[in-house]
Order: sequence, then C-alpha cells, then structure tokens
Amino acid sequence: MLTKLSNSKFLIPAMAFLVVLATGAGFYISLKQSQNRQERSEVSQGLFWPNPKQIKDFSSEDHNGNIFGSKQINGKWSFIFFGYTNCPDICPITMSVMVDVYRNLTTEFDDIQTIFVTVDPERDTKEKLSSYVNFFDKNFIGLNGEPENKNSLVRQIGIAYFSNKEKDNYLVDHSASIFVIDPKMRLIAKLSPPHQLEKIIDQFKNIKRFVDEKG
Amino acid sequence: MKKVNAIFFFLLLFLNINIVLAENSQKIHIYDLWINEAPPTATVLVAYVVLKNNSKRLMTLNSVSCPLFSSIEIHRSIIKNDIASMERHSMLEIPSKSTIKLSPGDFHLMLFNPKIPLNTHDTPIFTFSFLDGTQIPVTATIRKRKDMTH
Repeated sequence: MLTKLSNSKFLIPAMAFLVVLATGAGFYISLKQSQNRQERSEVSQGLFWPNPKQIKDFSSEDHNGNIFGSKQINGKWSFIFFGYTNCPDICPITMSVMVDVYRNLTTEFDDIQTIFVTVDPERDTKEKLSSYVNFFDKNFIGLNGEPENKNSLVRQIGIAYFSNKEKDNYLVDHSASIFVIDPKMRLIAKLSPPHQLEKIIDQFKNIKRFVDEKG
Repeated sequence: MKKVNAIFFFLLLFLNINIVLAENSQKIHIYDLWINEAPPTATVLVAYVVLKNNSKRLMTLNSVSCPLFSSIEIHRSIIKNDIASMERHSMLEIPSKSTIKLSPGDFHLMLFNPKIPLNTHDTPIFTFSFLDGTQIPVTATIRKRKDMTH
C-alpha cells in the first residue's frame, strides 16, 4: 500500500515532466523545420538540392574555335542559357538581362561566366555565334548545342527544344530558363522567367551562400 | 489659263492627300515604333510599337512593310511550362477606343532579312496597312541593347 502511494506520488510529477519535455522537443523540432523551410525558400525556387546533378566530363568548341569542356566549367559559377540567334524577342531579352547580371556579379566575384548554347546549330555557325555573343559581351561564351553528343550540355541538362525545319525562317521552341552550374560542376539551380536583374542577383547570392555552407 | 488650272489641280490634290492623311491619323495613331539593335549578322530583327484606335469601329492591321526587310510578320512570344515559343498572327485587331502595345516578351513585329545592318542613326519608314484600306507611314528609331530591359 505504502509502495503504491509512493509510486503514485512520483508518477504524476514524472508524467508532467515527460509531457513538458515532449512538448518542448516537439516545439524545438517544429521550429528547426520551419527555419529549414524558410532557409530553402529564401535560397531559391528551382534549386536542385539535396541531389544536384553532377555534370560529367564533356568537350566542345566555343565560338572562337577553342576547346571548351569540363575544365572550363570546373571552379566557376556558370550561368547557361539555351537559345538561338534568329530568336528576335525572348533570347535578346534574356541575354540583355544576363549582361547586366554578369557585369553586376563580376564586380564582386571573379569566378562567374556566362554561356549561350545554341539549340539551332544548323543555322548558328561559329561566325554567327561569335558575332552574337560578342554583341552582348566580349566575355560571353557561345557553344554549339551538339545534340548528337550524349555528353553535351544540352543532353546532360536535359533541354527540350523543337523546330519545324521544313519552313523557311523556321522558329525554335526552347527552354526560357537560365541554368546555374556551381564550381563543383553540379547543376545547382534553374532560374525561371521572367528574368529580372535584381531577382537573379538575390537568388544567386542566396544560392551561393547556401552552397558554400552545405559544401 | 492652262497653267492656272494645273496649279489649281495640284493644290486640290495636295489638299485631298492631306485630308486623307489627317483622317487616317485621327482614326488610328501609331507611335513609339522602335527596332532593337542587333548583331550585324542578325537575319531576324524585332520591332515594337503602340497602336491607338481613336475611331468608333474595330481597326484590323493586316500587314506591315518596309523596303529594308524581305518580309514582316506579327508574332507573339509565349512562355508556357518553361518553354518559349512564338505564334504567328496574320492580323491584329485593335478594338474601338483602345490601345495595343507591342512590347518585349509579348506581341512584336518580326523583321526578316535586313538588307543593311541598322545603326542608331537610321530611321527606316514602315507602312502599316489596315483591312479598310488605311495606310499609315511611320518612322522607326533604333534603340541600343541596354534600352531593351529598361
């Protein structure tokens, strides 16, 4: 009887303590989860995390005829846009924003590069590609999409595009997003339109901070 | 006497042309026509414009021409599920008492095969033709790239 009493005497405070502990733990976990969610949303929509795709070795030729491949991507933040030089509206708009982004970010970071990959390699000759990228910025890189090469950026990133080449002056439907590859050659983010300078700068800085922390 | 008649005739003709032009410009006002500066190798350029229909009836733009280009088409850019595409419009309707603005990322004029590379000092003249026979000449300006996103 005495044992029973003493047990019940300790049982209630013990249970109360357990309830308080469980509530506190629950609150703490919920708070951490909320912080993580906020951290994710602050970083960016379109972030490929926690499993960003690793870009495999590839080798291509840039608009100057120089080899451009994994070595040129490694150790840099690459902004990549897939388009074609005969595109008169969406591509020049996006390229113009990319010029502003590039010029803004390179005042602060020295490992930024911008790549334009044509999805119309038949018409976009090396000369045309060169004239096109140089028109926007002398430091921009122009690449042939090389759809037949299974390791090309078009194939590795999985870019969809379509054209009806039977028509004269045919048009090409293509991705409107800007893709970001990090210095470890991971496809880290897809920046969706509408593209605006301030939005991309903020997104990039948040992504960079996040990736630097996570490693 | 023949001389006086001839002068009178030309004066009437001049007056008539002015009246027609004035009527047309009252019906529809076309302004802010600009071409985006492009690389010298570009085979397709883009132009944007504002069309204001002051009349009490629908005005339908059915063609635009300029001797500097092989052809001009009306297009609209569309981004759906991340895919950018363009749809061609054979004509453009401007409802009564309304304004349609052709602007980057939306409706635009596609200018095919420029005969010369255009620079900012060029001022090509375009002719806007409407279904009712109205034709309006409009002078375009060339804007530098940096003006496009602002």
